[in-house]
Amino acid sequence: MPGMEDFHNGSEGSFNSDEADSVVKECIENVVAGDDYSQSQVNKWTASIVERCLTQLVKMGKPYKYIVTCAVMQKTGAGLHTANSCYWDTAMDGSCTVRWENRTMYCVVSVFAVAIA
Amino acid sequence: MESSNTYLIRPNHQHKFKPAIVKECVREIVRERLSGLRYDPEEVPELSRSLADCIKDKVKNAGFDRYKLVVQVVIGEQRGQGVKMSCRCLWDADTDSCAEDVFINDSLFCVVAVFGIYYY
Repeated sequence: MPGMEDFHNGSEGSFNSDEADSVVKECIENVVAGDDYSQSQVNKWTASIVERCLTQLVKMGKPYKYIVTCAVMQKTGAGLHTANSCYWDTAMDGSCTVRWENRTMYCVVSVFAVAIA
Repeated sequence: MESSNTYLIRPNHQHKFKPAIVKECVREIVRERLSGLRYDPEEVPELSRSLADCIKDKVKNAGFDRYKLVVQVVIGEQRGQGVKMSCRCLWDADTDSCAEDVFINDSLFCVVAVFGIYYY
């Protein structure tokens, strides 16, 4: 039929974690760069980091469901470890984790992208 | 994971991802493995990895067919610092869900988040 485009998902392949990495870094910088850890602000920060990342990822227009988690921790010399285990389609799905820090806090953001059928 | 076509766009009520059940699974495993443990920087990386795998296997066997799973385990030392964790998800609220659990003792804290995503 003329005027009908053939929508082909084609060989979009897997999740591009480098692209997501740079998107996430940018979002973190925009929210907390230059601030010191503050108990009263931390709720606001994590919420806005997570929302920004999600909106930017959605703008990329890929057929994925996203899960974005963010942990902000004050620097006191304590240790922190994160581990992920996923049961999914390794060809299409992927994740990316970004670690960011400044003088007074650590920020760890994980993005999981799960393909839609 | 078998990707045969079932043409089901919504899971049966019985097969839906039930956060309460998953939370119970997670709680059991975490309490068993971490009660009385002290934070040890050499062991914790291995511990968090094996905890994540263990939880993933247990939830897999709980029988949520056609669900993809993401398990995130965060273990940190307790030194009186402030920590805040949050998450936001873009998914189908009808079919997908998450379960969380927090475990704290004197020397460490552990946060586990399990996300279940339906595979149409």
